[in-house]
Amino acid sequence: MPLDTSAYSLALLRVDGRRWNELRRIHAQIRTQAAADGSSYLEMGHTKVMCVVTGPSEPGPRRGTTGGAAAGASKAAAEVAVSVVVAGFSSVDRKKRGRGDKRNLELQSTISNALAASLHTHLFPHSVIQVSLHVLSQDGSLLAALINAATLACVDAGIPMTDYVVACTAGSTSTYAAGDESADPLLDLNHQEEQELPGLTVATLGETDRVAVLVCESRVQVGRLEGMLAVGVDGCKQVREILDRVVREKGKRMVLEGTVVKGEGLEDMDLD
Amino acid sequence: MPREAEPSLNERQFILQALQENLRLDGREFDQYRPLELTFGDQYGVADVTLGKTRVLAKASAEVTVPYVDRPLDGIFNIATELSPMASPAFEVGRPTETEVLISRLLEKTVRRSGALDTESLCLVAGQKVWSVRVDVHVLSHDGNLIDAACFAVVSALRHFRKPDTSMESGILTVYTPAEREPVALSWLHSPFCVTWSYFGDEGEIALLDATWREEQVRAGSCTISLNRHGEICQIAKLGGTPVEAVTLLQCTNTALTKVQEFSAFLDRKLAEDIKRRDKGGLMAELSAENDR
Amino acid sequence: MASTQHVLLSPAELAYLHEALSLTPPIRPDGRAPMQFRPLVAETEILPGTNGSARICFADGTEAIVGVKAEVERTRGYHGDEQEEGGEEEEEGGEERREGEREGQGEWVELTVEIPGYRDDDAGTAFLAAMLSEALLADGRFAKKLWISRRFHWKLFLDILLISPPLSYPLPLLSLTTHLALLSTRLPRLKSEGDEDPFFDDDWAAAPYLYPQGTTTTRPPITLLVMAVGRNIIFDPSKEELAVADVVLAVSVGEAATNSASTKGKGKAIGGMDIDSAAAQPGRSLRLLSVRTVDPPSRVTPPGMPNATNSAYGVAVSVQKQPEARTVEAQAVEGVWKAPRGGAKPAVMAALVQKVLERGGVADEVLDALEAVELG
Repeated sequence: MPLDTSAYSLALLRVDGRRWNELRRIHAQIRTQAAADGSSYLEMGHTKVMCVVTGPSEPGPRRGTTGGAAAGASKAAAEVAVSVVVAGFSSVDRKKRGRGDKRNLELQSTISNALAASLHTHLFPHSVIQVSLHVLSQDGSLLAALINAATLACVDAGIPMTDYVVACTAGSTSTYAAGDESADPLLDLNHQEEQELPGLTVATLGETDRVAVLVCESRVQVGRLEGMLAVGVDGCKQVREILDRVVREKGKRMVLEGTVVKGEGLEDMDLD
Repeated sequence: MPREAEPSLNERQFILQALQENLRLDGREFDQYRPLELTFGDQYGVADVTLGKTRVLAKASAEVTVPYVDRPLDGIFNIATELSPMASPAFEVGRPTETEVLISRLLEKTVRRSGALDTESLCLVAGQKVWSVRVDVHVLSHDGNLIDAACFAVVSALRHFRKPDTSMESGILTVYTPAEREPVALSWLHSPFCVTWSYFGDEGEIALLDATWREEQVRAGSCTISLNRHGEICQIAKLGGTPVEAVTLLQCTNTALTKVQEFSAFLDRKLAEDIKRRDKGGLMAELSAENDR
Repeated sequence: MASTQHVLLSPAELAYLHEALSLTPPIRPDGRAPMQFRPLVAETEILPGTNGSARICFADGTEAIVGVKAEVERTRGYHGDEQEEGGEEEEEGGEERREGEREGQGEWVELTVEIPGYRDDDAGTAFLAAMLSEALLADGRFAKKLWISRRFHWKLFLDILLISPPLSYPLPLLSLTTHLALLSTRLPRLKSEGDEDPFFDDDWAAAPYLYPQGTTTTRPPITLLVMAVGRNIIFDPSKEELAVADVVLAVSVGEAATNSASTKGKGKAIGGMDIDSAAAQPGRSLRLLSVRTVDPPSRVTPPGMPNATNSAYGVAVSVQKQPEARTVEAQAVEGVWKAPRGGAKPAVMAALVQKVLERGGVADEVLDALEAVELG
């Protein structure tokens, strides 16, 4: 079903009623699973993913995951092994994606390389950080949601990192064929928009403008890139704030509950 | 599993240090490609691309088959990439490495998903017979920047390729041999090319084009941008690695566009030369089906 | 099939575990009573994009999510259906089906299990999936629920995801989660009649549950893990406990429809036989659907065992060479536990099954607990 973009120019509202620079509701939780070293659950609109991080630990026998940046290469840094399982019930029509699926492998390798650049893997030589991601429901911005969930789980696992790796998507209101200059950039595409409009996924390192991941899979005029990238980077900053709040609130609760001892030098931390 | 030899710590430092001083090991400028050469085979659809010591051969072929049930009007178009041990001992047959998967995904996105080949034009009888066009990419020698070379080879091979002419008369489909009728070119819509940037330094502040294998081994990140000469982005893939300033990425994209325009002009010239070469005696019929785009 | 990978426990630890579990009453490492289940957190209908879904989190941190999807599918082999494959008409021996007679087929249900870090064609995963679907289809009534008309039926896809790493044998967890997911499964209400092409009511609120609410007569089966150490019977064993098990059984239990409570008597079970026995008691009548023996890890050759004493390696040769090795292995050493050899006694097996089906027993208790989980 083609997306009706004609209504956009009238009310400047998108199919789901958002404005161009609005994110969908992001709901995140960390430490969702008692047994894991780190775990998280993240919803971006109707895209729902779960992440469990195990490690850094001694590498066990090789399992069915693709290794990351340092796959088998250097023993001087920990390897970030990512596995993505897309549940058969996650999309509208049930589809089973095999483990050898190239799209899946690409996702895994992207997430692994993005995390490896931010995590201080050199502190854990000869070890593996196992990140397993589960996609429960898909409604666009899948890669972005996966990266955000993986970051949160790594925070929960207490793996030292430079900053959050946060991601979101950005798009443009008209298709590549239309050469109109008036095309507005859009933030955080849902599945329907992703199918019909050009878009890209951006992941930045924290609040900086430095882009860790940039994936564009649709045809778009080169002139549109700047606008889309700017909106995407800006969206990432918003996402970072949301994720940071989630982490801080959980930390606060844990200190209040007495599950963890308040760290030193945090006397001024606000606990209310 | 055999592994690629790692550059030693000294080598690594030497390369990085030199780059800090604006020097590349082979004396090239940062945004300079190695000499690019393209040779077409005697057969239609064979392109042999060398980029420095990297050499990639692509061969296009076509056969008539049954279309997919869900797409009865579309022909089938596949790009098969296989990295054999011939290119590097780290590649094994039948066990796709991460590099191989990423290359084939990139080619797929650049050429197939961007709609460079009009698959509807490959349809012969709706729902029953279509052309299945297949490009096999063989890496003969691997010295870095496989993606750009492979993409150039694939596009060249497809542009050069001629499929047998066919006709439909009262429900009977005839496929003519080259002797009967001159084969026809594919319906080609636009020519996308890949340009890969490699980033070095803690902040990814040094950007190189066309990295050699040694440089690729020590790089901190990379970004492949696919464009056509009309300035349309077909795909961008910066899959992790050291974060790079957004502004740098935009500059890279603009530089990439000029490179792509050079590639495009180069390919057009080579194709024209090849046609002239084949048309030596002037006996061959003028191929009016040649697409201007 | 080995129920877990090897737990790295020293001989002394194994001996201690075995000793503690053989006491009367047994002392379990986590302090539970022998019949006690791990506490669990459960929720249903967590994913609006599915026909039914559930999530269960055990207190030890293992977590599973099950999603159920249903699709309308053309029933194969139905003759007189001209629309399908024009020329191909199969005559199935003129077998006449009576109007309104519902027939279910096992292949209408597709069940997949996904365990992180394991390939989907891993023997262990396939075995888990087989056990779960076997229990589901055992009573032969489940597939009938998917019947729409003579030409169409629902195809049910059950995707079972283990979210956490497999810390303990995940069978009970997966089974309970599947149970809840099926309970919450709703299929759109059929509006068409007879054999016409089916069409459905758009109103999701009007969609009936696959297992009608409020009646306790039909509920999905559950599969429980029971193990025996010596004479003690222990439910829901943890990974460590499994390491010293003499025998481990996976018992699938369903609720018998009240009218079909047959009195066939309790059956003794040996690996993989379906037994149809009903505990004809008032209240909830449980029905034994299937019993499978699960190999405890002690049955697997432990790592580091010398080839000389490894029976799988060709003992006949090595015994002659090293006769002392055999005797060393057979000797009982104080403070070292050795895996028992040979099978389990029928009496123990019977006791295990009996314990599951007992009125007010564990199965009863678990079903009660699951009943308490609110839908929606």
